[in-house]
This record gives sequence, structure tokens and C-alpha cells, in this order.
Amino acid sequence: MIETSICQIVFYVFALLAILFAICVVGSRNPVNSAMNMALSFGCVAAILFGLGAQFLGIVQIIVYAGAILVLFLFVVMMLDLKDEERNTGSMRSAAVGTTIAAILAGLITSISLSLPGATEISCPMAAICDNIGELAPGAEATQATPTPGYGGSLPALSPAAAAKAVQPDISDAEAAKATSMQDIRLLGQTLYTQYNIAFVILGFALLSGTVGAVALARKIRKD
Amino acid sequence: MIPLAHYLILSGILFSIGLAGVLIRKNIVVVFMCLEMMLSAANVALVAFSRAQGTQGIPVYDAQVLSLFITAIAAAEVAIGLALIVAMFRSRRSVESTALNTLKD
Repeated sequence: MIETSICQIVFYVFALLAILFAICVVGSRNPVNSAMNMALSFGCVAAILFGLGAQFLGIVQIIVYAGAILVLFLFVVMMLDLKDEERNTGSMRSAAVGTTIAAILAGLITSISLSLPGATEISCPMAAICDNIGELAPGAEATQATPTPGYGGSLPALSPAAAAKAVQPDISDAEAAKATSMQDIRLLGQTLYTQYNIAFVILGFALLSGTVGAVALARKIRKD
Repeated sequence: MIPLAHYLILSGILFSIGLAGVLIRKNIVVVFMCLEMMLSAANVALVAFSRAQGTQGIPVYDAQVLSLFITAIAAAEVAIGLALIVAMFRSRRSVESTALNTLKD
């Protein structure tokens, strides 16, 4: 029970920090401060993804968002020397209108999420930190995993044994039950390279065209 | 015990803050940062749903693949968008969104 409350505290602390840093991104006048706050906010989001058991996506979040994208932003901000551009941060009226629209949207999303069937009933702790990994037998979790219809509130517990079975279908139940870590990356890769193989290749082309397009756009246009 | 709803609310709040930034800020670089925050807020919701819809202890990896695609597209989008901002700064010496008024007058 103590572990559960620690998990809750970890989630809510990181959620609160992510929201606070996001507000700082919008509120700070200096774009460099905004970029730094954005990196911190993405770090907190990555921690929440880790807690959801999506380790690979958490790592990708840190590497891509807090690493690559932050560096690009800082590079552009410093290259353009935006210090004296930040004189009028916008009128009070537009700020009020924007805040109102965003608050209405947040309220809508909150009320919709709370009215999902079973949204606030059962739940699971932050999996990666404190699930009792390895306690479930391979057959036992099937009953536990699907009690709620539709988008219910329960996040079913992860089962490393079932994951091991999915990765290697020919291993025995006893061996699968010994698995202690969730084979997250392997399962993600299995989905990515089988079901979504063509989409993945097209994504590669999109990245390539993005790179070429960025170089073409930022090139100095010669007058002659 | 954290219900799914709380993850969705967190995602919604982050998305709304991003939307507020897009609407309020005049500096296009900061507007772009807020767009990135909106994309990453969508990632949180996707991963939470992937956990919630999972059966037999395995999350639905389709949602996580989609989230990975979003991340990759966001990276490409940042590269192109910042190149556009650099081009805009070259031609107008400003990155304020109010400077883009050629069609207005």
C-alpha cells in the first residue's frame, strides 16, 4: 500500500511539474527560457511515459524532443538573436481570449475523461516502478485484464510472462513465468516491422524529404 | 492507484496550454514550441490508451507505433518549420506573427 502511494505521488508530482513548465513556456518573455522550460516539461512527460510502461517511447521522448528538437530551437533562437524582438508580447485582450478558449477546451476534455465508463473506478499503479512483476502466472492475468467494457478506467497490469510468450511462442509456460522484465522494445519492434512495415518505410521517406526541404528552404537565395 | 482518466486529463491540460500559447504568443518560435507540446500531449493520451486497451498483460502496441510516428514526424516538422522561420527572418527581419500581413494590405 505504501508503494502504491509512492507511485501516485511520483505520477502527480511529474504531472504537476509538466504542467508548470508548460505554463512557463507560454509565459516567459525570453525565447531561450521558453526552450529550456519546454525541455524540462518534455522530461516530465517522459517520466510519465516510463511510468506507463512505455520505456522505449520515454527514451525516444528524451532523445528526440528534449535532445534534438531543443537543440534546433536553441540554435535558431541564438542565430536569429531575438532579444530585441520581444517588445510587445501581445495585448491583454488576445491573452484573455486565448486563455478562455484553452480553459474551455481543458474543461471539456476533463469532463469527457471523467465521464468515460468506469473512468475513475479501478486503476493500476505506475507499472514500471512498482508493479509486482512476475507474480502473475501466464494464465492468471487474462481474467484480470479485461473486466471493463470500452474505454474503462482500469489500466490492466503488465505481464512480462505474456510478453515473453508473445515474443517467443514456442517457449514453455514455466520458462515464460520466469521472465521478470517487460520486453517492451522487442514487442514494439515486432509490431513496427510486421504490421506497419510499409508505413515505417514511408516515414523514412518523409524524414528524408523533410531534411532536403529544410536545407532547400534555409539556403541563401542568390540574386544573380 | 491512478485511473486512466487522470492521464487523459493531464494530456488534455498540456494540449490546452499548448493551444493557449499558439493563440497568445506573437513570437513564431515560441508558437512552434507550443505546437510541439501539443504533439507530445497527444503522445501521453495514446500511450495511456495503449495500456488501458491491452489484454493479457500486453499493451496494444499499435498505439505506441502511432506515437512513435508522431515523434518522428514532429522532428521532421521542426526541421522544416525552423527553416521557414529562418527564411522569414531573412526576408522580413522579424519573427513576429504580426509581420506576416502582406495579404492584409
